[in-house]
Amino acid sequence: MHEFSIAAAIVESVQGFAEKQRASRIIEVRLTIGEFTHIEQEQLRFCFEAITKDTVLEGAALEIESSDAAVRCPHCGYAGPPKYWDGALAATSVPTLQCPACGKAAEPAEGHECAIKTVKFAREDDSPVKETAA
Amino acid sequence: MSARAGLMIPTIEASPEEIYDIELEHSLLEANEKLARENRALLDRHGITAIDFMGAIGSGKTTLITRLVERLKDQIGIAVFNGDATTSDDADAIAKQNVPIVQIATVNGCHLDANLVGKALGKIELDDLRLICIENIGNLICPAEFPLGSKARVVVISVTEGPWMVRKHPHMFLGARIVVINKIDLAGAMGVSIEELTRDVHTLKPDIHVIPTSCKTGAGVDELAAALLAI
Repeated sequence: MHEFSIAAAIVESVQGFAEKQRASRIIEVRLTIGEFTHIEQEQLRFCFEAITKDTVLEGAALEIESSDAAVRCPHCGYAGPPKYWDGALAATSVPTLQCPACGKAAEPAEGHECAIKTVKFAREDDSPVKETAA
Repeated sequence: MSARAGLMIPTIEASPEEIYDIELEHSLLEANEKLARENRALLDRHGITAIDFMGAIGSGKTTLITRLVERLKDQIGIAVFNGDATTSDDADAIAKQNVPIVQIATVNGCHLDANLVGKALGKIELDDLRLICIENIGNLICPAEFPLGSKARVVVISVTEGPWMVRKHPHMFLGARIVVINKIDLAGAMGVSIEELTRDVHTLKPDIHVIPTSCKTGAGVDELAAALLAI
């Protein structure tokens, strides 16, 4: 389950970030995951929840945005969305590296990322809490 | 309406904490990719081609690598890195060939990563080597996101895994230079069409070199050896 490695990388990265930022808790981690990667979102959520227990990330929401795949063709110069394969036995159609224009082998151009985009966190305010009038 | 309606106005309390939302743009695969580049640079300096063999448990990776070592060990310096979750059974089988071999135990991991391969590179004498065969963990799902520093990937499937291996695990094939369809001596018994498997591979990426092999009859092994030497 490589999702566990990814979850561990999130925790390691965000823990370091939290320390620098003097964050008291992490509210949300927003990821971008490319269509060409093979990262299963539900498994990643499961691993994330398990591995963040007793850390500054405990209870943080994991928001996942997927980013579209794009290819470029060294043979005909095509650049754009990939050709999708509906024949694959996968939950969604699979982006291929067959050029949609000429049918030869294309190269992946976009959709390989697996990155933390933003981190939302809380920091204890140094100033005392003001009493509100009853 | 009574004057008491004024009491409905909510009281806003100062929060004891401030909320921040900061852009990080931090790649989670970057740490492994950086180590993979370092491995690759080290290999390039020594003129070594490393090949990452991936495939399901039982697809025949170990036997195939053993056959390749038998054919190539008198021509070139060859070493084998063997990833296995717990045992050294695979390494023992190849060790009889008397070539350098490093067992990489991932304990509970399901893929090799560049860090483990980098450590393995530190354990052998690189000067006389020309080829390193890295046998990845038997798993068709995980290793795709974790480059090791190899020059090319070989994905090994076998006809005994049935006709749908490519359709079920398409992502694994997108990064492959060569796809081996192994155990072709059993294709008739299994009712699996090598042409259809080949067509599926080429649907994903038309320039993948598909090599049907049988470690039992020896079919295709010379073609694979030649293809690896040409990389």
